[in-house]
Amino acid sequence: MSTQLRSPINGNTHGRTLAVVATFLLLSGCATTSNVQQIDQLESIGENPRIVLMPPDIRYYLLTASGIPEPNAEWTEAAKTNFSKALLDYADTIGADVKLISADNMSADEIQYETLHSAVGLTLMTHHFGMAKLPSKAGVFDWSLGPGVDTIARNHEADYALFVYYRDYQASGGRVAFAILAAAAGVGVSTGSEHGFASLVDLKTGDIVWFNVVNAGVGELRDADSAAKTVNALFKNIPTARGTTEIE
Amino acid sequence: MIHRLPTALVLVMLLCGSPALAEKEPLDHKIPPGYVPEEARDEQGLWMEFEEMERTLNKSALLVRDADINNYITEIVCRVAAAYCNDFRVYVIRNPGFNASMTATGMMQIWTGLIIRANSTDEIAAVVGHEIAHYTRLHSLQRLRDMKKKLAAGSVFDLAVILATGYSTPLGQMTAMMSVLSFSREQETEADLLGTRILAEASYNPHASYKVWQRIIAEEEAAAVKRRKPSAFSQTHPATQQRASYLESLVVSTYGEDDAESVADEKLLAILNNHYLFLMEDQLDTNRFGRTKELLERHREIGVEPSLVYYFYGEMFRQRNEEGDMQLAMDSYLHSIEAGAPPPDAFKSLGYLHLKSGDNTAAQIQFRKYLEIDPTADDRAMIEFYLEE
Repeated sequence: MSTQLRSPINGNTHGRTLAVVATFLLLSGCATTSNVQQIDQLESIGENPRIVLMPPDIRYYLLTASGIPEPNAEWTEAAKTNFSKALLDYADTIGADVKLISADNMSADEIQYETLHSAVGLTLMTHHFGMAKLPSKAGVFDWSLGPGVDTIARNHEADYALFVYYRDYQASGGRVAFAILAAAAGVGVSTGSEHGFASLVDLKTGDIVWFNVVNAGVGELRDADSAAKTVNALFKNIPTARGTTEIE
Repeated sequence: MIHRLPTALVLVMLLCGSPALAEKEPLDHKIPPGYVPEEARDEQGLWMEFEEMERTLNKSALLVRDADINNYITEIVCRVAAAYCNDFRVYVIRNPGFNASMTATGMMQIWTGLIIRANSTDEIAAVVGHEIAHYTRLHSLQRLRDMKKKLAAGSVFDLAVILATGYSTPLGQMTAMMSVLSFSREQETEADLLGTRILAEASYNPHASYKVWQRIIAEEEAAAVKRRKPSAFSQTHPATQQRASYLESLVVSTYGEDDAESVADEKLLAILNNHYLFLMEDQLDTNRFGRTKELLERHREIGVEPSLVYYFYGEMFRQRNEEGDMQLAMDSYLHSIEAGAPPPDAFKSLGYLHLKSGDNTAAQIQFRKYLEIDPTADDRAMIEFYLEE
């Protein structure tokens, strides 16, 4: 919430400003994703594997000058709509029937599983991909939402559920100005960030069979074209009905 | 580098504004009934977050769905809210803590801990009035805006100091945080004042507004383990004692001394009597025995069914399990039974205590009575096992 001011100023402030601005420009083009894949191919008792997309838990914020994030309704709504549409378009590539659940039509259990997924996913970010690795796991990826998820399978006649969590903090003009002023004082402050993850859950077992982390630069969901690109990048390695040939 | 300072300071002063110059406006609702958020980006964002929360809350396992309790609370809310009645959705939450909350969207949460701490419906209404005042004065939105403005100014100030002196201090941000907290305390006072007014306008007893705080103080004093540090709550809320005092003098000077006759509050008593087991079970589970005892004492005084109150005395002593508590627990269960309307578990708990003290015959008598009253008890098989021994 608050900005940490680390070092007293010394040296050439103009040079420093330029360096910081240049770093921003360079970083903004980067994209990092980390992927975990437990199965090679989607399976179904039906003709095509059936995936149900849980209402994507996407939130856009405006990072204000003070560093306090302000939820932005317009961006969030656009991002949710664009994301869902882009995923439906991508369903052919996966070779699966994708069905959306409306956020207004969820059962109590489904809401609980969405919350559980966010909690498990954030834990994974810290303890599987992050710095605080769990020694007892020894790097093994064996995370699960539990077999109780078969309630989702029954409600929606699906083989898999796809959960998506995404948070995007966009710097306001005031925040950028503040960052430049801070850079002049030799202090680094955040000018926005994005992070998120998506999980494919096997509804027979609850196991997370595919997981992808989005760290930076991948997500721009507020317009339809960028959303399509984001979806392509995010689901590039998802197991498909045909097996794991990487899709270009 | 010194020449940078004036510009930065001017910027700080601009951002901070001057609260001393602001006119004191009369305390009234800021928004009309049926208010919808304006075309303001931050307000719409705030509403979206709260609507999302409400969607989840609607399906929460902690939601009390009992119609009786919901009707009782909703009736209070509607009466205090008057013209604003339709702006609120009331959620009763199963939590033994003392709390109620309101969002900018009108999502109101009442914890069951409030119901077991009130001596009258008026006291619940007093808390409801306070929460409604937060809503009609747009406090959530103002707090967000205040925090953004002050922290930005504070951070700019800190940068200006670095640029001017070369040294880093968190002075600006700390001052900003203090100011944000004091703004939040101001809002609490506003909500107290407006809340009391609408409480009285709804023909509830305005004296309830400070009595509810006096009870919190009494409970705090009865606590077996006292708080060492002030809680986060007290840092944003005026100190309880101070709050009870200023509300009392305000109410007495506006409405006169409390001359209301002390009569049993039938509606509140009906709610407590019909739902006592689950309401008090949650409180008991906090293991805060001093506080639980204080609440039981109070319930006995206001006329809650003695069999129920004594049963929980028994449970409280049994779980506390200090020197002499087993005997006190057994006496309490017997009291509960003698008073004529004991819950079946009074017999069972008494049976277990007899069993523990080695009196199997006495235990079996109580276990048999338990199964007689509650033949379909979940633990019937277990109890029958003890009866066969």
